[in-house]
This record gives sequence, C-alpha cells and structure tokens, in this order.
Amino acid sequence: MVQGVRIVVSDDLERSRLTVFFRLLLALPHLIVLGLVAGAAMILAPVAWLVALILGRLPEGLHDFYARVVVYGVHVYAYLYLGANPWPPFMGEGTYPVDVTIPPPERQSRWSIGFRLLLALPALLLSGALGAGSFTTSLSFYAVGLGAAPIVAFLAWFACLARGRMPRGLRDLLAYALGYGAQAAAYSLLLTPRYPDSHPALAEPAPLPPHPIALDAPEDDLRRMRLLVFLRLPLCTPHFVWLALWSVVAVPVVVVGWLAALITGRLPAALHRFLTALVRTQAQVNAYFSLASELYPGFTGGRALPVDVRVAPPEPQPRWTVLLRVILALPALFLAGAVNGAQTFAMFFGWFVALFLGRMPAGFRALQLYAVRYQAQLVGYLVLLTARYPFSGPGRQDR
Amino acid sequence: MRRALSILGVLLLGAAVAWAAIALWDTTVPGDLKLPALDPADHFESGALREAESYTRFSIVVFLLAQVAAIAVLFVYVRRGPGLMRKSAAGPLGTGFFLGMVGTGLVWMAQLPFEIAELAWARDHDIVRTNYLELILGGWLGLGGRFVGVCVTLAVAMGLAKLVRNAWWVPAAIAFALVTLVLAFVAPLLLSGLEKPSPALRQAAERIAAKEGVHDVPLRVQPIRDLTPTPNAYAVGLGPTRKVVLWDTITFFPPREVRTAIAHEYGHQARHHILKEVIWYLLIALPSGLVLALVLRRRGGIARPEAIPLALLVFTLVSLAALPVRSAVSRHYEAEADWEALQVTRNPGAFAALFRDFARVGADDPDPPGWFHWLADDHPSALERIAMARAWAERNGKVVP
Repeated sequence: MVQGVRIVVSDDLERSRLTVFFRLLLALPHLIVLGLVAGAAMILAPVAWLVALILGRLPEGLHDFYARVVVYGVHVYAYLYLGANPWPPFMGEGTYPVDVTIPPPERQSRWSIGFRLLLALPALLLSGALGAGSFTTSLSFYAVGLGAAPIVAFLAWFACLARGRMPRGLRDLLAYALGYGAQAAAYSLLLTPRYPDSHPALAEPAPLPPHPIALDAPEDDLRRMRLLVFLRLPLCTPHFVWLALWSVVAVPVVVVGWLAALITGRLPAALHRFLTALVRTQAQVNAYFSLASELYPGFTGGRALPVDVRVAPPEPQPRWTVLLRVILALPALFLAGAVNGAQTFAMFFGWFVALFLGRMPAGFRALQLYAVRYQAQLVGYLVLLTARYPFSGPGRQDR
Repeated sequence: MRRALSILGVLLLGAAVAWAAIALWDTTVPGDLKLPALDPADHFESGALREAESYTRFSIVVFLLAQVAAIAVLFVYVRRGPGLMRKSAAGPLGTGFFLGMVGTGLVWMAQLPFEIAELAWARDHDIVRTNYLELILGGWLGLGGRFVGVCVTLAVAMGLAKLVRNAWWVPAAIAFALVTLVLAFVAPLLLSGLEKPSPALRQAAERIAAKEGVHDVPLRVQPIRDLTPTPNAYAVGLGPTRKVVLWDTITFFPPREVRTAIAHEYGHQARHHILKEVIWYLLIALPSGLVLALVLRRRGGIARPEAIPLALLVFTLVSLAALPVRSAVSRHYEAEADWEALQVTRNPGAFAALFRDFARVGADDPDPPGWFHWLADDHPSALERIAMARAWAERNGKVVP
C-alpha cells in the first residue's frame, strides 16, 4: 500500500495579536534558514535523482534530509501565513500545530523517477496557484500571480489583529494549500511515488458550518465521455453568453432588491427567486464546465441537478450589512480571485486527464466543487440572497 | 378540409416564392448577350493553367470527401445521438440545443482532416500562410460561436414548433431571414483593422461610385497580406453601414485593374445585391423548412429533442441540394457586377487582366469542371469573365482583350 503525505492540523485558531503584528519580521530567521536548506536541497537534487534512478528508491539519509526540508517548509509557511501561532522549531524538529507526515522510503518505478520533474510540473503549477503564487516571464512580459496562501495571510492578518483569532475558513484553506504544496514537493523530491491529490478531504477539514447557500454534490463515478470533454468549452459557450445577458438584467434587480432590503430588512421573495435561479444556473454551469459534473445543465436553474446549490428562503438581514454589502464582500472577492486561479489550473489539467483516461481525478473534482460552492456563496452574498459570509475553507462536504 | 387548406397554403406560398425569384432574377446584363467560347490555353500560360487545374482538382476532391464525411457522421449520429439525452438535464429545449451542438461538433471533427489537407495544399501553393495550430485551435474555439448560432436557431425552430406546430417552418424561415438581415447590417461594424485608402484610391473610388449612382459608401483597405497573398475585394453592409473593402493584396495590382475591382464591388452596392441575397435566403429557407418539417413529423416534430440529430442530417442534405441554386444566384449577381464594372470603367482589357491575375495568384482554375462549377462555384470562372469582357468590347466597339 502506497502511503501518502498528509497534513495534520491541531491548531486551536487562537492567535497572539503581538506576534501576528510582527509575523513577517519574526519569520525572517526561519525564512533565511529555510532558504539555505532549500538551496542545498536543490544542489543535491541531481545527485539524489541519479542515485534514486539507479537504486529504484531514495537512500534513507537523503530521504530524511528531504523530508525535513518539506516538513520545515510547512512549519515556516504555516507560521508566516498565520496558519499557526507558535514560533516553529528549526529544521522541522518536534511537532507543530500545522504539521505534515512523510511516509518512509519505498521502492518507486524507475520510469516515474526518470521523468519525475516533467510529471510533477502540473502539480507544481497547481501548488503555486494554491500556495505562494506564480511568476510568468517572456522576452517582453512579466506577470506575478498571487496564490491563495498570501491572500489568506493578508486577510487573516487584519482578522487576527481585530479578533485575536484566526477565522476557521481561512485557516482550513491555508492548511489545504500547504498540504497540497507538501505533497507536490515530496513527489518532486522523490520522497513518495504517490501523485499529489488535490482532494480537500486529505487536509481533514471539519464539516462545513451551516450556510443558507449549500452545495449538493454526491460522489459520482467520475467517468467522463471523451467527446463531451473535448467539446466542453464550446458546449458551455451558449451558457456563458446567456449568463452574461442574465447578469446584465440582474444588475437593476439587485439595485431594487438592495433598496427594498434596506427598507424592509429582507430581500423581496420574487427577487429572491429570480436571483436564486441565477446563482443556481451559474453554479450548475460552473460545475459542468469544470468537469465536476457530467450532466448538461439547463438555462434557467429550474431543475435540480446532482451537482447543485440549495438556497434557503429569504431571511431577515441586518440593514447595516445590506448597506455596506459591496465593501464587506471585498475580502471574499479578493480571495475568490485566488480560488479561481487554482480552479483554472485544475480545470486545465483535469481536461487533459479526462480526455486521455475518460475519468476525472477525484481530487480535481473535489477542488472544483469547493470552488463552485465558494463562488455560489460569494455571489449569493453579493446579490443579497443571504447575510451569511461565504465560508472560505474547504470542507468535508466538498467531495 | 384542413389538409386541403394546408396544401393550398403551401401552393400559394410556392407561387409567391416563384414570383419573387423571377423578380429578383432581373439583371442589367443584356438578355441577348452571347459569351464567346474561349480556349483557356489562349489566355493563360500553360504552366499556370496546369498548376491551377491540379490545385482545383485536389480542392474539389477534398470538398466532396468532406461532405461525404459529414453525411456519414450524421447518419451514425441519427442512430446513436438520441442516446446522449441521458447526459443532459436541460429539459426538452436545452437537450435539443445539446444534441444540436454535439452533432455540429462531430461534423467539425469529421471534416477537420480534410480542412487540414486543404490547408496543407494551400500552403504548398502559397495561397494561405495560416498554420495548422491556428486552424485546429481556431476551429475548436470557433465552435463556441457556432454553437451559439445552433442554440439560437434551435430556440427559434423548437419554440415556434411548440407554438404553431407543423407550420413552424414559415415563421422560422422569416425569423432566420430577419436575423440574416440584421447580421448583414451589422457585419461591417464588426470588421476590425480596416484602413483608409490612399488619396488617389479614394478619389478613384468616389468617381466610380458617383458613376454607378452610389453615395456615402466608403472604400476601406483590409490588411491581410500576412495571412495570404491572394487578392480579393468585397461589398458589405446595408443602408448606412455599406462599405466596399479591398484586401491590401489587391492594391499592388496595376491601378487600372484596381479600379476595375472597385467598380465591380460598387456594382454590387448599386444593384443592392446584399439585400437581394437576403431575400433569396428566405426563398430558399421556405422550401428547405418545409422538407425539414415533413421529414421530422415521423419523429414527432422538431420540438422533440430526439428529432434533432435527424434534423441536422436533413438540414445538411437540404443545404447540399440547395447549393446549386445558391451558387447560381451568386454567379448571376457576380456577372451583373462584372457588367456594371465594364460599363463604368469601359476598359475590357483591364477587366480581363484583373481576372487573369486573380486566377494566377490564387491558383484558381480558369475553366473548372462544368459539374462542379454548376454545383458549388459562387463566382463566374475567369474564362467566363474574359468572355464577358470580349462580348462587351464587341458590343461597344472596343479592342477585344
């Protein structure tokens, strides 16, 4: 049985405001040491690769060294990004509230070792989108795309300073991102033959808190018809056009709803129905487009699909949150950008995998479902379907 | 009684279509004009002629194979397509869209190898400079636009079939003609990268337009030489959006030939050919819709999604059957625009030279096989055009080119 790299979270969400305020400065010594150790690991990598290619496994000494680098990296970044409170031990010694377990050395296919860097590329790119971000360059073009982790840290910094506590959703998302990054690093560094799995359940998150906008997504057989996978983008184009037109109509509806909710303290039922249909159709199309669902969705959101969002009936909303809704939604919008980035990577690679194998990897599907749910909650919050803030962390139900 | 009324209605409609077709066929080309029989060898170099013949022969084979592939795929799709309904949760209308799009996608995939072969052939003859990735990726991405068109078309047809049942094809044909009219109107507004012509070219165009009685129709130049060296020009738009566009590849031709090309395109505008072609579209859509409706009745009508694969097949066959009519109409109007150009420029030598150059640079067979010319050529052949120039010259006492 091939064992995987697992993230283990025992963090209690409590944060010291003082260390949060100075977090970047406090993390500097660790970042320097980690940089030196990671540099040494990179220099050693060709030797390790050659030895592993000959032996069919990584020697124990090298395995331990690389395992320590990965564990230490998780500790340091968990601390830097506010995923944990205590100052981490050097070189991954001892335990930490956001920790990672690395399986012992094992035999690996030489083919897989030989092409490891190439094979790891999609996982590393996805890890970049979830983690620190990506840097793109060409002769005339530079672009830096922030990943989910720095955005989480940026938002969490304010939240922790204000409340002395890390929001659970942000912590869970960070743990998930770090866990995936650890898997990708371990795979690239030949610590495990197991390909990184983007399934949020591997980070063992708690169940999602109750939310008026919830995702229904039972497990499916993951089989995908290659013809429909190949045509997925063009098949969704009419939906995109339709949704764009619908959104144009929705803008004045939301404005009217906003005024009504300001006066009455709730969204009128007719507007709620109209906007619910929009949010459901968006989610259904998003799920279909990202290959999380195999069933072609309708255009009106009227039918319940296997992958669908449930929207609770209109509820009273505090008027001040209605008044400031767009401003309040800004952090979630910011985070949604990073989640979209990760979703796009997973969609891109998932498309190729599904085209070749006729199957959607369960991890990619779960990541898509998480993104679908988060975006539905965000749009629902923006258009006043609910006063409940979108839950940013992945949950057990995102499967 | 109802059946008799329906038949009577169809007969009346048929008579109206025939009357409109006769009216639209009216042309300024003299009815007694006899085109002389010409030998291509007298007008084209033998090497260029051989190359053009070989190029066209291959293109014809590829065209025919692509049609056969499309029909074969659709035959299979008629049997197996309805099984895909289990992959849709979009209701009858949405499932109809879904089956329509998948069928269209399958036809594209079946025809793609032939498109690639044609591109290879065209590249080999330096007719186009697009690469294979552009063809494949552009085609795949372009399916999105085509699918939107499929959905709109099916929404109209299926929606009307629910409203007026078996007579859906009449309002549907009118609706599609209206859509075509709107598209013809907005098409020039969607053209990007058009440039203003040089002052000399603009003045020449204004003089020609005035002679043809066309006002406020600007001339524009489209940079295209990075994609193809072949020359072309076209007239677009309706009413205030009308334009005449020259590819920049033609602006390198001798000025007298460029003026002839401009006069030809202003001839299209003067004779309202774009509007007439929209009306022809309606005249062809009506009987095509009738055939479609009659065939689909066996499958419960076009409103049922399971009938859509058959609808695609019948539509493809009817379109192929209507191809000679569409080609004949197009050739007829092209000939009229040729005549207008000759009347305005009064230079049959330049006219003949222009189409000799067109055939040479575009590797166009000046005298293609008669059956193919009848089936699918939407322009007169270069030899026919030279023959018209000669006929015009003889009538007007000019030097015969």
